[in-house]
Amino acid sequence: MGLGFESHLGCLATDWRPVLGVSPSPPALRPVLLGRLRFPVTPYETSGSEDVLLLSLFVHCHCVDFGDLMDRAVQLSDKVHFLSTSLKSDLDYHLPAVGKKIPHLSLCHTSPLKTPMDKNQVLSLSESELLSLVQSLLLSWTDALLLLSSEASSLPHPSTSTIQVKAKQLRENSDTLGTGLSRLAHKMGSSSSSYIPLRYTENSLGGDDDSRLVNFHFLLSCFRRDSHKIDNFLKILRCRANKQKPDMC
Amino acid sequence: MEKGFARVWRKTGTRLTLLYLLLLLVGRMNGEAGVAPPGKPRLINCRSPEKETFTCWWEPGSSGGLPTSYTLFYRKENSDVVYECPDYITAGDNSCFFDKNHTSIWVNYNITVVAQNALGNASSDPMDVDVMNIVQPHHPENVTVTLMQGENLYLQVKWQPPRMADTRSGWITLTYELLVKREEDDEWEEYFAGLQKQYQLFSPHPGETYMVKVRCKPDHGYWSEWSATAYVDVPDYLPRERSVWMLLAVFSAFVFLIFMWVLALKKNRVKHCLLPPVPGPKIKGFDSCLLKMEKSEEIFNGLIGLGFRPPSDSGDLLVDYLEVSESIQSESRHSLSPNGKDQVKDSVADHSGGHLCDVPAILAEKCNKEMEAQGDVQTEESLETVGHLAGNDNHTPNPSAASSNQPCVQESPYHVPEESKQGLDPVTWDNDELSSYRGNAPVHGKSHFNSEYVTERWQGCLQVTKPTEYVEVQKVNQENTLILKPKAEEEMEDFLQLGLRGQDYSKVSELVNDHILLLERGSTTPNTYCGSLGSPVQQQPKQTLCQGPNGYVETFTVQSSSY
Repeated sequence: MGLGFESHLGCLATDWRPVLGVSPSPPALRPVLLGRLRFPVTPYETSGSEDVLLLSLFVHCHCVDFGDLMDRAVQLSDKVHFLSTSLKSDLDYHLPAVGKKIPHLSLCHTSPLKTPMDKNQVLSLSESELLSLVQSLLLSWTDALLLLSSEASSLPHPSTSTIQVKAKQLRENSDTLGTGLSRLAHKMGSSSSSYIPLRYTENSLGGDDDSRLVNFHFLLSCFRRDSHKIDNFLKILRCRANKQKPDMC
Repeated sequence: MEKGFARVWRKTGTRLTLLYLLLLLVGRMNGEAGVAPPGKPRLINCRSPEKETFTCWWEPGSSGGLPTSYTLFYRKENSDVVYECPDYITAGDNSCFFDKNHTSIWVNYNITVVAQNALGNASSDPMDVDVMNIVQPHHPENVTVTLMQGENLYLQVKWQPPRMADTRSGWITLTYELLVKREEDDEWEEYFAGLQKQYQLFSPHPGETYMVKVRCKPDHGYWSEWSATAYVDVPDYLPRERSVWMLLAVFSAFVFLIFMWVLALKKNRVKHCLLPPVPGPKIKGFDSCLLKMEKSEEIFNGLIGLGFRPPSDSGDLLVDYLEVSESIQSESRHSLSPNGKDQVKDSVADHSGGHLCDVPAILAEKCNKEMEAQGDVQTEESLETVGHLAGNDNHTPNPSAASSNQPCVQESPYHVPEESKQGLDPVTWDNDELSSYRGNAPVHGKSHFNSEYVTERWQGCLQVTKPTEYVEVQKVNQENTLILKPKAEEEMEDFLQLGLRGQDYSKVSELVNDHILLLERGSTTPNTYCGSLGSPVQQQPKQTLCQGPNGYVETFTVQSSSY
């Protein structure tokens, strides 16, 4: 079991460092800088994510509220799922027949990750477990989303430009969310979980146009489901972090 | 007979039977008699109100006339096991209810409905359902609207999430929306409440009834139905303020009316105060009537005639009297002696009054009025201007030995050219009542009162107001004689016609001995001085001095040449 939330509520660790490109310093030196946690501000913007500047005064432990951080994460995940739904409907609108040809979603590459399948199972998980589950899901999808984004331009579909834009946004937001969550988890000190990310190993969607379309659609459907899981888990986490504010749930 | 009957009877019976059988056969083939395999049912949709259970509904096809049963089968995505609907009753007819135990999320259900009767069955098209996609909650509950008294009055709307939805754990996240309407309005107003479960409506209209209803939506699902409408009555809480304002408005209107009334009464004074009358031009001798008539000649004449008025008591005054002394020979001296008398005063004073415009009647009246009104003012002004003129000592005296060579002072009241500033040698008359005047130098051009004074010197300027009969001094020759010319000859001399309406002119009383002009004061009319004095050269034949009816000297022939 990872560390419970109770030990982390209200105050996180104080040495924030820029998220990207900085390796952790040795424990003896803990410079305090303004940290940047890459979370967007609003959920449904279609523009790129924005940096959220987080301040922390190291000595007095005036930290960013964990609940606020979770709120930021939720906004991102909500946006990601919204984008995936929108992208799928765009695909279906012009080529509905393709959607019927896709294989079962049990064949998604993330299926081996045993995720809970009903409410009770989900609620029985601890915060750290939930968090690590979310992380592993996200990590599993980084490569696949990269592929989707790159293949979107050459997709034989009428509205390629829209698809391309959305796929790109999808990838970017997911990356941001993944990075932010990893920092969050690191600060929380959660132990490595039993959830091991399963990377997507294919390099292309297929040879001919038809199979490419079908595979694109299939990947997207898999991601859509997984993004819903991520979103749901994070919302549960947010609710738990904001016990004092029932209006946040 | 009977045989016939029987035969017919048998035939009809056969036909009827045949007909019956035929009908039976047809009926059976068509199935309208009620037996047929069932028609194909159709799955309508499935909905989950809280992401924990869900219900599917279908539409039955034709029943085929026989009792038909409907069975719902489903398969989960990762197994081939076919299950049947666990509950057909809870959700009503033609529905299947999946309870918590049978509901999995993030799992695809493949659902089919089969209709079956004695004659056969019919299977619907399959439908793929994932619970995460079909969430539609129930409407919010316990919607209440209450009147709250803070600093101001406001309405507080409160509600609760649908009973079954688990929002506390975060399993389902609901956002809410309100519709608010006043009872007499036609349109509802939308308000988005987000995640919160209460909402404030500020500044409600007093004396009205408000209607509110709420609905909710999960984060990635469908909007719920609207809740039941809640009503609230807002009392009248403003009238007192309103009456105060009304009182204030009435009072200020009353004050305003009084003010306007007073203003109307004192209109003139206000007008005088706000729009002070613009002072008219104070150019002495400037006659606005003439301006209206556009008789520029006369205007200028009038201006030029402005005086030379002897100042009152200035010791610096130059000579301003023209003394015409008897000098038979050419040695007539014109010495100007400062008399310092304001003898022109009278003449000046009467100037304005004595002048009448030849203007159309309308203007005439106006002019007269103005004249009268301004008579006093003008009088004073003209006196002053004359005095001003007379008092010039800026003038560098012409170093001519002959003081008689000094030019006349020019007519402009405000500016006197250098050369002409020096006073003339006064022409003194024998008469003590000599009025003094200052000679006017001829002016070049009518418009240049202040400038371009002719350097011609002469002493004694003569003017005649009557346009037709001026006698003017043309020049003074070497022997200090006045050379007078009738106005008619002016043009030849390139002479300025002087519109000398002298205020300062003395009136000639009589000519004495053919070479002495007696001047008297008391006449407001410009005088003309005719006659050359002591000038043998000059002759002015055919000119006479005479006195016009207004006291003007008119030309008449001078006969003597013996001067």
